[in-house]
Amino acid sequence: MSSYPQEASWINLLSSTLGFTPGTQEWVFAAIGLVFIYCVIILPSAAMMSFLDRKLSADFQARVGPNRAGPAGVFQPLADLVKLLQKEAASTDWNWREALWLGVHTMALYSTVAVIPLGSMALLVDTDMSVFLPFWAALVLALGTMLLGFSQASVPGWFGGIRIAAQVLAGAFPSLVAVLCAGIHSGDYRWSAFVGAQAAFPLRWTAFSDPFQFIAFVVFVAGGLVMLAVPPMDAAVSLRDLHGGVSSHLFGRRLSLYRLGRFYGFFLWSVMATVIFLGAWTLPFGLGGVLRTREELWLLQLLETLWLLGKTFLLMLAITSLARVHPRGRIDQVTDFSWKVLSPFSLFALIGSALWTGWGLLR
Amino acid sequence: MKSSIFSTVRAYLYDVYLRFRSIWGSLLTALPYLWGAGELRKEVTEQYPDPISSRTADDLPARSRGLLFNDIQRCTGCKECEKICPVQCIRVDTEAGSDPTKLWVARFDIDFSKCVFCGLCVESCHPQSLMHSRQYEGAVYELKDLVASFGRGYVTAEQRMKWAALRKQAESDEVYL
Repeated sequence: MSSYPQEASWINLLSSTLGFTPGTQEWVFAAIGLVFIYCVIILPSAAMMSFLDRKLSADFQARVGPNRAGPAGVFQPLADLVKLLQKEAASTDWNWREALWLGVHTMALYSTVAVIPLGSMALLVDTDMSVFLPFWAALVLALGTMLLGFSQASVPGWFGGIRIAAQVLAGAFPSLVAVLCAGIHSGDYRWSAFVGAQAAFPLRWTAFSDPFQFIAFVVFVAGGLVMLAVPPMDAAVSLRDLHGGVSSHLFGRRLSLYRLGRFYGFFLWSVMATVIFLGAWTLPFGLGGVLRTREELWLLQLLETLWLLGKTFLLMLAITSLARVHPRGRIDQVTDFSWKVLSPFSLFALIGSALWTGWGLLR
Repeated sequence: MKSSIFSTVRAYLYDVYLRFRSIWGSLLTALPYLWGAGELRKEVTEQYPDPISSRTADDLPARSRGLLFNDIQRCTGCKECEKICPVQCIRVDTEAGSDPTKLWVARFDIDFSKCVFCGLCVESCHPQSLMHSRQYEGAVYELKDLVASFGRGYVTAEQRMKWAALRKQAESDEVYL
């Protein structure tokens, strides 16, 4: 377990760089940090992943994919965003219920930016329950999404709302148990503890440390897909199955907000999976230690974040390609899969990893 | 046969195994497409010929059927195209002109909002005045802009009378000749 010295915290780094007086309130830094993370990391990631997703699925289907906006269509996400932002409202009466629940949905999602781990010095909140905060956020998100669906006052909205709530409940249990497995391995639920329990070499990652952890890893990722309705588990919000479900009446700015939120959920879950199971941001070849002793903290933080994001994007691409070659599950198949396959396997992994770790401690 | 707990668990695990094998199988089928090695990989997508795709209008096939063009100098106003058009998108109005052997094509309108680019009119055109151009950018802001007019325009009553006189003159000249 590693604990970093207080002077290496992100707050000190930020305040010394931006030239704030030492007495500045912490919430100022927190606000700046959140906006910074959102604009510099989440938005570009969303653009990149949506482009890669479309190109990847185009390749799988022997199509060309986006090719009009910019070289090879790389500016297509930007073009889409601009198009969505300038759309006019279809009706003049303002659906305040939709706006309210879209707001709850979005706030529940982005409240987790505060706990998203992006590097040893970018841990905004590192308590012994950091890892569980996204779960509570996901439950609030489920409520917001369900009522967003109800506010549409349409059949797809009603059914989408009910189904997405069912899906979140089904997915939360196995992924929560999977986190418990990883906690048994690391001994604590701090992000820093999960990082400290792993090393740069893949066989020292939690996912590959023992077979039960690998099962837990798979269950965690699949449970997250179910929970956040990420393809191929997105029957409740898909256009083909349910006319978009809870998003059936969203358009323009509201739709772009909603879609960005959907991406953020997927991104958050992949970052969590990478930090908990795939070696987090630990740099290879002992680079982290070297940079730390040389006090190159900005460079260290930058490299750590890039390394983490690189792994995260690979994981997301793997999931996306899997989603593109696999038919989307029906809602009953998705919940069945979660309750009848993921849950038993997660419990099996929990017992197994407990015995494995206990045996290791006794030995 | 009553199934025991062991056979139930075994069937369950076998089901899970089958699902994973199915995912793996579809991945194995699809992944080669990423580097263009898939079984059915063929270049079937024709890029839109414009500067973005680095293709030009010259890349169009030799007999591609673009927007119709009528060379009004050669057009005799026989209305064959109007008769053969399956969607009635061609409208021709003619009247007698100054030359008794030729009609004055006052109106030759092609409504491209109706045209299906079948090419029957071009085939039936005897003086070969109607042809497919290589233009294919037909988008306009107003529906009425989709009507292409090639006619020479209606003439005034005064002009008509003048032409009638000319025709009479020509006919009488013919008699003397």
